[in-house]
Amino acid sequence: MNLYLRWVENLSKALGYIAALLLLVAVIIVCQMVFNRFVLNLQTSWQTEFVTYVLLASTFLGSPWVLLTRGHVNVELIPLMLGPRARFIMALFAYLLSATLCIMLTWFSIEFWYESYEGGWASDTIWGPQLWKAYLSMPIGFFAISLQYIADLLCLLSGREPPFGIETDTPPETA
Amino acid sequence: MDPIALGALAATCLIVLLLTGMPVAFALGATAVSFLLISDGTGAMVVVAETLFASLDEFALLSIPMFLVMGSAIAASRAGADLYEALDRWLYMVPGGLLISNIGACGIFAALTGSSPATCAAIGKMGIPEMRKRGYPASLATGSIAAGGTLGILIPPSITMIVYGIATETSIGRLFAAGLMPGLMLIALFIAWSLFYANYKGYTFVEDDKFFTLKEKFAILPKVIPFMILIVLVLGALYGGVATPSEASGVGAMVCILLVMIIYRVWRPVKLWEILSSATRESVMLMMIIGMAGLFSYMMSSLYITQGIAEYIAAQELSPWVLMFYINLFLLVSGFFLPPVAVILMTCPTLVPIAISAGFDPIWFGVMLTLNMEIGLITPPVGLNLYVINGIVPDVDLKTVLLGALPFMLCMVVGIGLLMIFPQIALWLPDVLMGPVQ
Repeated sequence: MNLYLRWVENLSKALGYIAALLLLVAVIIVCQMVFNRFVLNLQTSWQTEFVTYVLLASTFLGSPWVLLTRGHVNVELIPLMLGPRARFIMALFAYLLSATLCIMLTWFSIEFWYESYEGGWASDTIWGPQLWKAYLSMPIGFFAISLQYIADLLCLLSGREPPFGIETDTPPETA
Repeated sequence: MDPIALGALAATCLIVLLLTGMPVAFALGATAVSFLLISDGTGAMVVVAETLFASLDEFALLSIPMFLVMGSAIAASRAGADLYEALDRWLYMVPGGLLISNIGACGIFAALTGSSPATCAAIGKMGIPEMRKRGYPASLATGSIAAGGTLGILIPPSITMIVYGIATETSIGRLFAAGLMPGLMLIALFIAWSLFYANYKGYTFVEDDKFFTLKEKFAILPKVIPFMILIVLVLGALYGGVATPSEASGVGAMVCILLVMIIYRVWRPVKLWEILSSATRESVMLMMIIGMAGLFSYMMSSLYITQGIAEYIAAQELSPWVLMFYINLFLLVSGFFLPPVAVILMTCPTLVPIAISAGFDPIWFGVMLTLNMEIGLITPPVGLNLYVINGIVPDVDLKTVLLGALPFMLCMVVGIGLLMIFPQIALWLPDVLMGPVQ
């Protein structure tokens, strides 16, 4: 189990690095595009579409890392009001449901990706890239979020992490 | 099943899931996916993935992470602190001046980032300890920053407006321009309240031992001015229609990183990584919510909930002002439970056509909606700004922050009222800058 946890954590972190780098790539491409358009007076061809896919990839691939670092906004009002036991049960429910959703989305997006790959779908722009390349980030991202959620569940069940990451030694805020 | 009842069921389901502490994005996704699967069976599978991708497959959305990079470059360097310091040096003599400079700093920072929690965090980190040190009560110190921080989504650039522009196919530049005057109006209202309150309570807070010479006042400006010029240029390019929001903000992000590297000598990879990773975190979180809210909105329209609600409202034949009152109320309540971007994507497909057919301007409506969302940012249970403040000063409990923010919330309600009576507050500037709508 420790091996799995460490492995997933490293995977999520690595994907987080990739997501941040993709964002940097996006900044650079936009600048290159503006330079081409306004300074060199060239038509922009592939940039608009490509950079949009880069942002999508950054979003899906970055998501497990954001989960790992508890960056996905949630409503902690009720969990904070509950006692430790009820909070644990609430966390178990919330994690299980989220994990189920992510596993389902992994499956759906694999299905979707496969359809686009088989069908040879291409974008209807002048550049016209094969769409499966753009769609690929979605199944990978959701697969990694699922793994991260399972890791979170294991941590919760084995008591390694408190429910919702709320430390019990700090008194819960009055809301 | 009746679309209205189905809609109510979906809303209830969503609220219950949100309250369990699930991430907002996944609560939206889980509700949408389960309703789609129940109605369409396994046929919905590929559609779900396709819709999720399509709701994010939009070039204009790129401006969101770009503005976030700008904001985090400023927040991670000393630029935020210098900005704060500059305002303090210029305004310290005014009674209650610290409060004013804090609200002003929030307004300026809002113009640099476009995100409310970012504004709140950047100014709050410096402003709250400073105000408490000088004897302002905790409620006023935290409440003013919580409220001032909400300006982030009203004063251009604004992430909320970008999403509204995409969802309703209105001009983002025009929306940005429309947010400026109402933003200044809110700042004026906030300051008026602060001055009144400071006088009423007899707070003077002019520190005798504190003095800045004119030289000191000017010495700080060279560090702050470049960022101001940058944002004016970015927005200018937008209003002038020279560049799209994504292009302008992308170049802005690059220049902002370079400015931080030059002025503050931030060149260590660790520090640069910090800028990039905090922007990525925020961007991923927002984009996930946007994608899932898009999925939710698709579910609502494919189950005819959106259309059902619209027909129902049209059948009531309400007078426009009564209608707008209810819409405001509804937006306000939605804002209590959901972050602004989610509310916009979920409600705009229904509300905007209704508002337009009742004779309201879509740009004006976007500003109204944003004002409502601002109130939602400082009310529980999803008041993002409240949590930000709570993270900065854990020793002040949420109730104190809320009490402090309450008068500012009332200022916003007054602001909404003024905007309803005088729509020109929002619509005047875009018409002047970009010409009347064709």
